[in-house]
Amino acid sequence: MADDKQTEDSSTASEIKSDGDKENSDPGKSDKVKIDILLKATGNAPIMKKKKWAVDAEKPIGWIMEFVKKYLKLEPDEKLFLYVNQTFAPSPDQLVKNLYECFGTDGKLVLHYCKSQAWG
Amino acid sequence: MANDREVLREIWDGKLPICFQLAQEEIMEIQQPDPFYVMVPRLSYFPLVTDKMKRHFLRFISQENADNEMWLDYNGQPLKWHYPIGFLYDLYCGIDPQLPWTLTVHFTKFPEDVLLHCPNKDVVEAHYMSTVKEADVLKHRGQVMSTMQKKDHNQLWLGLQNDKFDQFWAINRRLMESHGDNEGFKHIPIRIYSDDGSCFQRLVSPKNVDGSRKVLQQMIAELYPDKINIKLRTHGITLPLDTPLQWLSEHMSYPDNFLHLCVC
Repeated sequence: MADDKQTEDSSTASEIKSDGDKENSDPGKSDKVKIDILLKATGNAPIMKKKKWAVDAEKPIGWIMEFVKKYLKLEPDEKLFLYVNQTFAPSPDQLVKNLYECFGTDGKLVLHYCKSQAWG
Repeated sequence: MANDREVLREIWDGKLPICFQLAQEEIMEIQQPDPFYVMVPRLSYFPLVTDKMKRHFLRFISQENADNEMWLDYNGQPLKWHYPIGFLYDLYCGIDPQLPWTLTVHFTKFPEDVLLHCPNKDVVEAHYMSTVKEADVLKHRGQVMSTMQKKDHNQLWLGLQNDKFDQFWAINRRLMESHGDNEGFKHIPIRIYSDDGSCFQRLVSPKNVDGSRKVLQQMIAELYPDKINIKLRTHGITLPLDTPLQWLSEHMSYPDNFLHLCVC
């Protein structure tokens, strides 16, 4: 995972890296478009120490869900729901880029997460 | 609000003949199973129309696989259950129509990296309602869905699930109304798909900057500035380029309130 040193209100976002993901240290491959996402806990979900992350624009929402589950050390059978605009749960195969283009505000995409269905 | 009611009815009544065949390697009986033929609504989803087909094939497969999640492919391409059936046909068969549409049924080797799991119909309903909500956020800042009652949401879903046009449209008409002083939605819920299945979604206004109504050709020029001769297909139709987007959204959206268009 990316570094945890920054505080919650840090304005710079760390990159989410997959386990064993070495490609970001390769200068030849660092030109991928990144999108800033802000992860906010709701309901009974534990808050994340670091909320702002830079994500590869081509990643699907399901990949972010897996990342949050891992970060929060949830059990594999525990559920996690992600919401856009505190209204709808995007499909796990929807791309971060599409959501950012339609629902991003102030240069970032805000995603609320919780462990039970919050907004149906 | 939609007033070309015949168009809504035509779209609703669209059906596809499908021929389901069990994957050869899964047949455990000496006797080959007959293919299973069925007419299905284009606007429906596969998990809503495949119960009988599944029962038909279950006795031909190894019993240890009987509780596995069933999945479908067309020509080796796994079919996403959370897309409407008619859209999947347009995406993979639109250029070279094939009827009946012959699909292969599997009970093993679920393609985890391609398909979402669908353990029951509640998952389809949750996905459907969420998509309607997203569409309403785009059209009316989510105000119509949030002021509806739970029973209205249920009626929408049951209308679709049970193929009841009047039941569905009694509620859906409210989602198709324009609010405020302006005629038209804030944005048009639209997804455009390439033939590799990748989805492209952007904010699209039903109006041009000068206030005139935007037509398909103008949207294409905005979204694909460096491409020419792009055509878009939905419900088996190649759309005329002078179609106004607002009309298209009110009449040609799928029940999830999105326009699902295939590039061709």
